[in-house]
This record gives sequence, structure tokens and C-alpha cells, in this order.
Amino acid sequence: MSLVIKNLTKQYDKQKTGLSDYSVTIEKGILGLLGPNGAGKSTLMKIIATISKPTQGTVFLDGEDIVNNPDYIRRILGYLPQDFGVYPNLNAYEFLEYIAALKGVGGAGLRQRIEMLLEGVNLTADAKRPIGTYSGGMKQRIGIAQALLNDPKILIFDEPTVGLDPEERVRFRQLISDLADDCIIILSSHIVSDIETIADEVAIMKNGRLLDKAIQPEIISHADGKVFETLIDSGDLNVIKAKHLIINTTRQKDKTKVRYIIKNQEPEPSSIPATATLEDAYLFLTQNA
Amino acid sequence: MKYIYNIIKADYLQRTRSYAFLITLAVTIYVAYSFVPPPTANYTTLTMPGYKGVYNSAWVGYVSAMMTTVMLSMWGFFLVNSGIKKDIDTEVGLIVATTRITNLGYLLSKFLSNFLVLLTIMGFTFVVSIAMFFLRASGSPHILSDFVVPYLLFALPALFFISSLAIATEVFLRDKLILQCIAFIFLFGFILGGLHGMPNSNSAVIMDVFGVKTLTGSISDQINTQYHAEVKDISMGFIFNHHKKAYKTVVWNGVSWTNVFLLSRLVWIFLGFAVVYISSLFFHRFDFKHATRNRKKKAEFGELATEVVYKESATINLSKLPKLLPDYGIIPFIKTELLLLIRRRSKWLWFIIAAVWVGMIFAPMDIAYGILLPVIWFLQVTRWSELATKEKTNQLHYFTYSSYKPLQRMLPAQILAGLITAVVLALPIIVRCAIALNGYAVFNIFSGAVFIVLLAVCLGIISNGKKLYEILFFMITYLLTQKGDIVDYLGAVPHNNHALYICIILGLNLLLAVTSFTVRNYQARHL
Repeated sequence: MSLVIKNLTKQYDKQKTGLSDYSVTIEKGILGLLGPNGAGKSTLMKIIATISKPTQGTVFLDGEDIVNNPDYIRRILGYLPQDFGVYPNLNAYEFLEYIAALKGVGGAGLRQRIEMLLEGVNLTADAKRPIGTYSGGMKQRIGIAQALLNDPKILIFDEPTVGLDPEERVRFRQLISDLADDCIIILSSHIVSDIETIADEVAIMKNGRLLDKAIQPEIISHADGKVFETLIDSGDLNVIKAKHLIINTTRQKDKTKVRYIIKNQEPEPSSIPATATLEDAYLFLTQNA
Repeated sequence: MKYIYNIIKADYLQRTRSYAFLITLAVTIYVAYSFVPPPTANYTTLTMPGYKGVYNSAWVGYVSAMMTTVMLSMWGFFLVNSGIKKDIDTEVGLIVATTRITNLGYLLSKFLSNFLVLLTIMGFTFVVSIAMFFLRASGSPHILSDFVVPYLLFALPALFFISSLAIATEVFLRDKLILQCIAFIFLFGFILGGLHGMPNSNSAVIMDVFGVKTLTGSISDQINTQYHAEVKDISMGFIFNHHKKAYKTVVWNGVSWTNVFLLSRLVWIFLGFAVVYISSLFFHRFDFKHATRNRKKKAEFGELATEVVYKESATINLSKLPKLLPDYGIIPFIKTELLLLIRRRSKWLWFIIAAVWVGMIFAPMDIAYGILLPVIWFLQVTRWSELATKEKTNQLHYFTYSSYKPLQRMLPAQILAGLITAVVLALPIIVRCAIALNGYAVFNIFSGAVFIVLLAVCLGIISNGKKLYEILFFMITYLLTQKGDIVDYLGAVPHNNHALYICIILGLNLLLAVTSFTVRNYQARHL
């Protein structure tokens, strides 16, 4: 199974471009999308989820043009949007039955499947309560359950870990990893560690363009030899800021530990080289783009 | 005061920058056009038995101003009565509640924003009324003050007071739209009806928020002087009359203002401020019972959830889940849509609906068909207005638009669910008409049900909101109970040409359906 995106452009108006001549091929496994706000991650996901039409370009799933034939992908699509909502007066069973109807699936096994999914996202005990009374994290979990309702082969998760507590995030990552053997999973997140833990490949985007798409070591290699750490007086921070790209700072009494990426200059005296991470590479690529 | 100005500005821009407002303006222009009917029209806006006013500057200006005052006060209330609710829905209210703004300051800014919205609409009717003078009047000189003064003295204070009422109903009745409607209609009817039988006295002038008594009194005085008659019965509003009668013409040159009348206008402006001030003493500041109740539920629920979340590490193995079969039917949708319709709003409304439903069984047919049926359907206004908008409101449209063939399954299910409720509510009349072998009426009720549901769906889809339909439905129902044949969508008013009437309604239904499906088809692929 492969999803081939060719020269995709989405122009909202004269000033606003969602995607610009974007091409990528996505195979089975997990593709993590990283990019700052406005990079075009959600736009790309909406186009693949068939709820937004590109201004130009094509999207082919196994050779079938899904821009012109959206129902081809909809039958095997699981989609968790960033800002989805629920009908607050329905309980979890009713809501998932409704989503099943939307996805065009049913049959004798539906009730059992819903129960198993609710158990999988730990909502069984609360399944008969109106969803309007759920917390943010619980709503997010019902969103995950709905995405898996129709035995999807393409899963699109837009910021799926928002609202989940740390333990739920760990469980979600595990779940995604388990699903990746059979599906194409496209996942966007602002939390680089989420992508770092589970994505087979990473695509870094900025201003609607694809900066790079590769397996993690290749992406990280962009920042190899450019990441340093040093301990400085807090007052000297602005000097380093002016010369280098700061990754993070940690206060240690009157000193500050700084992790930074060199641009075109030599590292600060007394700096020690650090092993580059995905976050370093991401910041390096997006800042230099 | 600077922050109040900024809130008013933001609120005003937010309300007016919408398709719904543009459509409202378009409807306003049409309605303002109808305030000055041509001589051949089958309705009047100022009715004097046996007499008709000459269309001079004063007549067109004053009648337009008065019609604007009464009509805009009535439906304008529904246009502006959700300013606070919007802040609750968008949770901007929670931010407002944490700022230094006082309750009075916040409500005052909402109130003035309401007033500005109504003033904008009034501005359009003012311009149309001048255009109507040049269109309808022939030979009379145009006197600008005949337009400016009545708008200033009749419309402005009335709209000011109505804006404050919208605030008060939102504060005291919160999000209970139907209850707000009933309370306002009751109050509106009480003000207009109470004045009707009152003699022309100073107290009547002061109590007359719209100034109707002053205007009709002046006109009746003119008739009585000109024709030595004793005319008292002058009515405002759209009154439909199919029987053309002979009439005498009256030349009327406007109202002679009295100090009492001018004082009354100031009194109503002051009362507007007073209503806002009193409301501010009871304003929930976005910490109302409903929120507290929900928080309680969430708190209880949160504890429960914490208990189960980490108890065991359940997993999902897709290959072990029961396999599902393709099912592209729309029955599950209809079931859910009906559930959502039934669970919408509070239970007390069902008691009122049940009472009207039983009333339709026993009431005389003309009342049951001509008044109770439009009313019982109107009581569904908040349900039907959500038929095609609730996905967007609840941010569920991502799911519905990316589902399998949403246009062929989802939208028909929503329409059918609305239709089922309409037909069930109309059953007493349908059965009575069927027993009387009145197939024409039965057909009209069915096509009327289709029309009013499709109108909800179509306006919801086009305007992306509920307000337009709610206001329009209110106006249609009001005019229908006044026997206005132009809005008779369910055959409650006699028509000369049955075949033509049926064709028009069916044509409108077709137009609404095609528009709904076309626009939704576009929306589903252009998020």
C-alpha cells in the first residue's frame, strides 16, 4: 500500500498558502510530521482525509486518485482531527454507533467491537455517561477509538496526544506502534519526543514546503557536529543568543547551562560537543530554511 | 470607558461580519419595501376602515418609521438576544470573567452593541423609505424632516429599550431560547394589546414604548376632522384583506409633538439603562448553575476515571476485533438524529408541546390548523435550526465530511428526522383532515413540513448559523397567524388557485433541496 502525493498546492487566498508544490510518497509504517505552526501539516492531513481539495496536484492511493474519488479512501480511513468535537448528549456507545454509521460499517459484531475499543482506551466504566461530561483527555480517547472503528488501513492523527496525561501518552504511543505493521499512519505533533519515539520516518515542513523526509538517523545527521553545551553566567546568555541557535537553557543557581547549535561560527570556548537529537535537527532545519 | 468602546466595537464587528447578517439586511430591504404597499396590494400596514392615506412625505416617512419601530423591535430582539450566549459558547466569557471589567460595564457594552446592530438595520430601512417615497408618491414635495424626525423619536428609543430587554432575558433566562421567545412575545403582545383599548391620555402616551398611540391618534384626529367621523380603530402591522372595499383618501401631514410624548421617549431611554443596571446585579458572570452542575458531574466523573485509567494496561489489537460488515444504510443516522432532536433542550418544553398537541385535537379546525399547527412547529425552532449546523457547532464536521458518501446518507437522514418530528406533531390535524376527506389539506401539511425543514437545513448550510432561520421562522409564524397568505407554507390560508399554490411550494422545496445539497457538497470538500 502506498500513498503518492505529487506537486500538491493549496492556496487559501492570495496571501495565504497552505501547501506549496509538495511531493512525498508514504509507505506502510509511521510517518511523523514536524513543523512550526502554519507549516501546512493540518492542511496536508485534511487533503489526505478528503475534506479539503488541493488547488493543484494529485494524491494517489494504490494508483487510485482520491482527490477525484474520495470514497475510495474513506472506507479505510481513520482520522483524528486536531479540534474535533462530540455530540454532548450522546453516550460513548451511541456516539461510536453513530460514527460506525458514518463510516458505513455495521453488522452483528459492531457492539462487541465498540466494547473492545472502549476497553482499549479505558472508557468502559464511563461509556454510558453523556460525552458532554467527559474531561479533555477522555474526549481525546473517544476520538482515538472512533478512528479505529472501521478497521482502517490509513490512519491520520493530527496532534493526537493533546490533552492526554503522561501515562496515556505512553499507552497511545504503544498502540500506534502496534498498529503500524498493517497500516499507513500519518502523525503530526508539536511534541518532538512523541514523534521521536514512534515514527519510522519523519517529514519536516515549513511554510507549506517539505524540508526533508527521511528515517530519523538521516534527519538527525543534519545537526551532527553542530550541537554544543556550555555552562555560562546567566548575564552572558544574550551574547550566545546573538551568535547561535539556542535549543534550551537550564538554570543552575547563578549559572545557566545552554545547549545550542552553531550557525556559521566557532563554538563558544569551554563548550563540549553533544549528541544531536531529532529536536536539534528539527530546529536546525526549520531555522535555516 | 476605552475598554467598553473596544468591546462594543469587537462585538459589533463580530456580529455584522457574517453572511447571516448580510442576508438579514437583504430581507430587511425587502420588508422595508413592503412597508409602503402599492394601491393594488392585498394587505395594508396601517389599517383605517374605509380610509386610505395619501402617499405624501409625512405618510411615507411616519408609516415607514412606525413599521420599522414595531417590526424591528419584534424580530430584532431575536437577532440580538444571543450576545452573552456567544461568549458562553466560545468560552470567551471565561476570559471576560477573569478581567477587571464590571458586570455593568460588560452588560452595557453588550447592550450598546445590540443597539448598534439594530441601528444599522434601521439605517437601511430609513434609506429604503426615502426611495419608496420617490417610487410611490406622485407630486408631493419631499420633506426630509418627515423621515428623520419619526425615525429619531419613534424608532430610536424603542430599539434602545428592546436592546436592553435582550440583555435582561439573557441574564434571567440564560440559554433558554424558547422561554425567551415566549416571554418576549408575551411582553410585546401585552404592550401593544394593552394600549389598544386605552383612551388617548398622557399616561397612555408615556406607557407607549413604540409611540403607536401617538401616531394612530394623530391620524384618527385628522380623519375625524376631515370627514366629521368617529374613527378610533386604527391598526399597525401587516393586515391581509382580500376583499377590496371603497375608501376615502386622507391627507395627513404628520404628528404635532407634545411635551408629554417627548418626555416619554426620554423615559424609555432611561428605562433601557435601568433594565441593564438591574440585570447587572443578577448577572452570573459566567459562573451559573449549569456550569456548576457540569463541573460537579465532571468532578465525580474525574475521580471515577482516575480510578480506572491506570488499573490495567488494556491494549487494542485490531486483528482480534470482531470484523464488521459494510452497512451504507441511513437508518442509524435517522435514529441518532431523532435522539439528538429529542434530547435537545429541557423537558418542560415537551409539556408545552404536549398541551398544544392535545389542543389541536379539540380546537376548532381554523384555530388548530391556522394557529396551533404553526405554533407547535415554531416551538421546534431551536431543534430544526440545528439540523444542519450542529456538526459545525460541535466540531464534528471533520468526521461527517470525511465519512463514506456523506451527501447521499447524512443530509437526507437529517432532513428525514426533521420531517418525522414535523409530521408527528401535525398528526392531529392530518388525521382530522383525512377523516374530513380533505386530501388537499393533508397534502399541503406534508409539503409544508418538507418546506419548513428544508428551509432550516438550507439556511443553516448557507449561513453556517441558526439565527437567520430562527428569525425568519418567527416572522413567518407571526405573519401566518395574521393570515398572511404570502407566508402560508402549509395551506392554512385559503388560496384562489390551488394548483398554482401547490406548484409554488413544491418549486420552493425543490429549490431549497438543490441549494442545500449543492452548497453542502462544496463545503464537504473545502474545509
